[in-house]
Amino acid sequence: MTIASERTPVLELRNITLHYGSVEALHDVSIKSYAGEVIGLVGDNGAGKSSLIKVISGVNTADSGEVIVDGVRRHWRSPHDSMAAGIETLYQDSGLAPDLSIGSNIFLGREKRRSGLLGRLGFVDQRAMEKEALEQLARVGITIPATQRTVSELSGGQRQAVAIGRAIAWAKHVIVLDEPTNHLGARQSAEVLNVIKSAREQGLSVIFISHSLPHVLEVTDRIIVLRLGRVVRDAPTGEFTVESLLGTITGLSESTGS
Amino acid sequence: MSTSVDALGTTVKSQSRVRRVVTNQQFVLFVVLIALILFFASRNSLFFRVGEFSNLFTDFSGLVLIALAETYVIVAGGIDLAVGSTAAVSGVVAAGWIQPLVNHGVNQAVILLVGTLACAVVGALAGGLSALLITAFDLVPFVATLVTYSVGAGLALVISHGAPVGYNPGAIYWSASGIGMITWLVAIVLVVAVVLGVVLHLTVYGRYNFAIGSNEFAARAAGIAVRRHLISVYVLAGVLAGLTGMFFYIRSGSGAATTGVTNSANLVAIAAVVIGGASLTGGVGRWAGTMLGAAVLTVVSDGLIFINVPPTWIQVVVGALIAVAALLQSFRRRSRRVP
Repeated sequence: MTIASERTPVLELRNITLHYGSVEALHDVSIKSYAGEVIGLVGDNGAGKSSLIKVISGVNTADSGEVIVDGVRRHWRSPHDSMAAGIETLYQDSGLAPDLSIGSNIFLGREKRRSGLLGRLGFVDQRAMEKEALEQLARVGITIPATQRTVSELSGGQRQAVAIGRAIAWAKHVIVLDEPTNHLGARQSAEVLNVIKSAREQGLSVIFISHSLPHVLEVTDRIIVLRLGRVVRDAPTGEFTVESLLGTITGLSESTGS
Repeated sequence: MSTSVDALGTTVKSQSRVRRVVTNQQFVLFVVLIALILFFASRNSLFFRVGEFSNLFTDFSGLVLIALAETYVIVAGGIDLAVGSTAAVSGVVAAGWIQPLVNHGVNQAVILLVGTLACAVVGALAGGLSALLITAFDLVPFVATLVTYSVGAGLALVISHGAPVGYNPGAIYWSASGIGMITWLVAIVLVVAVVLGVVLHLTVYGRYNFAIGSNEFAARAAGIAVRRHLISVYVLAGVLAGLTGMFFYIRSGSGAATTGVTNSANLVAIAAVVIGGASLTGGVGRWAGTMLGAAVLTVVSDGLIFINVPPTWIQVVVGALIAVAALLQSFRRRSRRVP
């Protein structure tokens, strides 16, 4: 895949800095992501990957820097704003409410309401949500037997499928996936990677965070390496091997870096 | 788009329908409730008198609003130790405020409406204090509501000097009026209870309550205004506790710091919720469960007195009931666990 740098990035972060108290989690981070492109975001524990995606999704607000979507500078007051702008985020292990049904989880924060007066009083249309949840999951290639089941009754792989399905079904521009293949077996991971590829074919910009370097090399077009809150490398995936990527992540092969 | 993630993971252990029904907490509670009523009636046939059922409904009404308040809070992942003292302080404050109206012979309906409003406002303030401590100062709900409990219980004693506040025989008279075994007072409480059930299970507000208790981060990430919701839940609990304070004012014609709502009421309310099948870790609970839990506790408390068991034993029985409910819940959770 070629990256046309003249194109407007669908998501751009400019000079993002974020502190937790006196700890600097992100320092002057700038990244661009384009439609139909899969970016791999890699780095050691504490490199700032999770902090960065929380800035993208609006869970955290950067101390300085800009978030630009489709060329327009935006400010997130809450995750609700980023969702409204077409950015969906799948959080590592924690994106679903286990005691709610699959359908309720797919529609969490976007509940369908009954028509008329009941809807204005806040009544949810559970039946319609369960039905549409099945359709939405099927549309992104995920079939789940019964959406009335609670998420706590699903296996780890099924939960992940629901979480990814939710993110892809709602994403209009960008989908951020934090460790989506964590805890999954080889075959299940391959299926998740296929879902990521189909998201790219749909024209979404995918930001894929993973510790599994072979997965990153397989599915991404470009890799951004974070270390200690800074971007240390941003290059097409073809320029990396597992070894060179590992070296860049750990900082042990500084000389081979850009 | 032919990728299927259907095969991800293992299949869920299927459960026989019979087992699902038998381990359903509401079903078990309903059976227990009927069994208890039959047991007490067999020991003393006077238990079936209309008057006794009317008493049961009245005692149930004194518990059900704070139990439902506790249900909202517990489902949202919190706990409220202040509902009892909030009821007491609301009743005492409102009794003081409306006594001049009583003395001037103002219409009883006006007096009771003003009193209800006053109780709701005081309750909302108490709930607001808990909410402030939790959301602005990051205290855990247990500690925050312990503060509110202490402040409320203390203020109730300070304001009342330990004696009943005000005297309104008209209220007592009205509290006995109604149709058959349902007094108007009980009917109003039941209507409020039904509304609370509908809101909890059928509306977006209720859905958010479950989502926050189930996984607060997921709820926040899904764009739900978690802080605002939690504030509203504790204020709602405070208002319901305040209304319970008014309930006891109407029954006794005065407000008292020791209406019997202060000390054990919090724990009885929590017991009703736990017996009803809710999880103290949040995200799990049913309106019907709490209603049945409150009903069982009411029947046990009243029934034991009715068959001349010393009241001191009632707490022991309540403890046993909680233990059985908790065991049932843990059995159910284990039987549903995915391999």
